[in-house]
Amino acid sequence: MLDNTWNNILDWFRDRSERAKLVRSFNESARTSFVAGIAPTLLKASISKGESSYKHQFSNWLNTGFRIQAFTGRVLTKDELIHIGKVILDDDVLVRRLIVLGWDTLEIHGDAGNYGCRWQLKDYIPLPKFNENE
Amino acid sequence: MKMNDSLTQSSIKVAKQAIIKTPDQINWWMWLALAELGIIAFLIIKEQLKPKDTAKQRFKEESLKQEIDFSNIINSSFNSIQLYDELKVKCHPDRFPTDMEKNSIAENIFQEISKNKNNVKRLLELKEEAIQKLNINF
Repeated sequence: MLDNTWNNILDWFRDRSERAKLVRSFNESARTSFVAGIAPTLLKASISKGESSYKHQFSNWLNTGFRIQAFTGRVLTKDELIHIGKVILDDDVLVRRLIVLGWDTLEIHGDAGNYGCRWQLKDYIPLPKFNENE
Repeated sequence: MKMNDSLTQSSIKVAKQAIIKTPDQINWWMWLALAELGIIAFLIIKEQLKPKDTAKQRFKEESLKQEIDFSNIINSSFNSIQLYDELKVKCHPDRFPTDMEKNSIAENIFQEISKNKNNVKRLLELKEEAIQKLNINF
């Protein structure tokens, strides 16, 4: 009981720090690519509420959405949104990292317009079934 | 009255002697037992609080160890379609109908291209491979 609680507290702090680190690294890379002219659009990652029905065994209680906003100044087409999403989802290492850090939803949307795309992360990586009592 | 005073003085003296311990009176065995108890308690708590090595924990640890190439992800988000379209045309196996060796190499490269269509870094590697093995001019 005590050890579980203690380890959960430690895990929570460590995950929080890892989540912040991941978002910061993504934003730094996006900014560098934009400034260098590699990417024509500035992307910005943030943490959002997420979709509660996408929960999996690593999901956090709150804020389970990994949101990427593309600052294009125009309404992005559905294909553009889907392509950015597909690039993220094709990177197994990133999807795995997002899942273990408690995210369950990937959201992509532009800065203009009020629609975006949403994916369920657990569909893109085979998650083994873990025995909680092990 | 005088007798009472002397009695009180004597009692205080005796009490002081009883309370104040001289160095010879320290109970070393008690302190040793307490230290042992402390060490045992520390070891038990340390063992209890150690993270459990469960399959879930291992999966998490492994996932956190891997490096993520964010610049490749950002680059791929905007430049992979163009590169993929170029490569899929130039490296198509049908471009080498007579040379069976090149046809086979092109088929392998083409499969890899299709598999990594959203990964600019890998596509660039395949482009280099195509230049060297298939003598394609881009």
